[in-house]
Amino acid sequence: MFDFTLSPEPSKTEISDGLYDVVIIGAGAAGLTTAIYTARDGLKTLILERESAGGLAATTEMIENYPGFPDGVNGAELLDRFRKQAERFGAEIVEFDEVVKVNPLKAGEIEVHTEGEQVYTGKTVVIATGSQPKKLNVPGEKEYYGRGVSYCATCDGPFFKDKNVVIIGAGNSGLQEGLQVLEYAKHVTFLEFLPYTRAEHILQERVKNHPKSTLLFNQQVTAIQGDKTVTGVVAVDRETKKEHVYPTDGVFIYVGYSPYSAFVADLVETNRWGYIVSDKKMRTKVPGLYAIGDVRADNPAQLSVSVGDGAKAALAIRDFILELQG
Amino acid sequence: MALLNDEIIKNVTEMLADLANDVRLVVFTTKNGCEYCKEIVQLAEEVAATSSKLTTEVYDFDAAPDKAAEYNITMAPAMAIVGKRDYGLRYYGIPSGHEFSTLMYGIQRASQGEPDLDPPTLSYLSELTQSVNIQVFVTPTCPYCPRAAILAYDMAVASDKVVADIVESMEFPDLANRFSVMGVPLSVINETGRVEGAAPPHMIVDAIKAALAQ
Repeated sequence: MFDFTLSPEPSKTEISDGLYDVVIIGAGAAGLTTAIYTARDGLKTLILERESAGGLAATTEMIENYPGFPDGVNGAELLDRFRKQAERFGAEIVEFDEVVKVNPLKAGEIEVHTEGEQVYTGKTVVIATGSQPKKLNVPGEKEYYGRGVSYCATCDGPFFKDKNVVIIGAGNSGLQEGLQVLEYAKHVTFLEFLPYTRAEHILQERVKNHPKSTLLFNQQVTAIQGDKTVTGVVAVDRETKKEHVYPTDGVFIYVGYSPYSAFVADLVETNRWGYIVSDKKMRTKVPGLYAIGDVRADNPAQLSVSVGDGAKAALAIRDFILELQG
Repeated sequence: MALLNDEIIKNVTEMLADLANDVRLVVFTTKNGCEYCKEIVQLAEEVAATSSKLTTEVYDFDAAPDKAAEYNITMAPAMAIVGKRDYGLRYYGIPSGHEFSTLMYGIQRASQGEPDLDPPTLSYLSELTQSVNIQVFVTPTCPYCPRAAILAYDMAVASDKVVADIVESMEFPDLANRFSVMGVPLSVINETGRVEGAAPPHMIVDAIKAALAQ
């Protein structure tokens, strides 16, 4: 009935002085994978994380398409294993300190400045900052955050036991997280902007066949209503142009993601959505600076792909450092 | 049947192997609609069995009001984590899931008696003259929650003026409703200040300042 999860003591690593071989910005699946490889390779490795380690995957209740887990695996548990593996090989992790600037000084020397006014220097730097849930930017979203508006079903789903919930967005994230909310909620209404869903077929079937769910398309959400807490979602049917208020106790928003790349926007090449362009070896146009995982352009935002990116960057870093040593 | 499996017990034993001072887990149960009281007592006993420095005490919240008052316990089930002295570390509900890490951290800090905080935060807390109650609302499935909880514990260890109550929101729905808790972690300062998310120390300090200024 109960499970008990032991995380390593967060953010208490003694940070060593001096030049790092690798400074990784972001402790999600991609960054931790690079760290596992580089630390195991004997490279002095530091990971900087603005929140707690684990990244977006750690907030997913059940991951069913990561190889090696036939019954699926809890995201937090899996990423905790990534972290332990990286630390086992000596990678240092600093949590809750956000990187605000990356400053290349010369070949093999890149400074990384944090909000906590720390400056770390790496021979190489890996940007693995991932992406963050997009805001809808509609009235009521900010006001009712924590009062019925949420972006984390794993964290907040239990608050909606026997209550009505609206999930905004019916892509993979929306349906997957919505299925989790359905375990608690009285009813879940999915509102999708497009006239169809791009979600995996298996997720679509599960939602469509669930007795407590309704899936609606062509819905443009225009506001979130409430008093002390959320009471409703206002949406316009894009076909009929009719406005409808969906009474609800909670709103979970999954309308896509935006890359966490603004802090290096003037340093690297990005595509029109802000995703960082890196080559097959994960290299950006700045020597020694790499971009991997969900922050990278043309990345399909899949855990397995992030892991692959992390490994590729680590192998490229090994070559780069060997070249530096002449 | 044991709550903790062999692997967890091994890890807990290692984590608690070098406790500096004795720690008491003072558990308060109630017969008044308590779903997990039996399990909380069992959990405390299983954890205590991993270290000679750990002991448990169990009281009935309703039958031992003096003891509840002594530890300033206002509802049950609850656990006070008491080291060489009582630093004000409280856990309301069962610390399962990710929250088990919070319990472990609380035991380590209560034993050591030293907070792990940055100098500006320590400096501010050392100058507190008014009482501060930090209630951190959590759920066992929330991976971000232990971060907010252990920060509150560190602040309580740092200052005699601070009491840190970690509240498992699902077990205390009335209290959660009172503060309109619909997302976690949520830190409530002196019942007025409100900080959503796993905030860094300076944000909690700002919220304390604002709450005390009211």
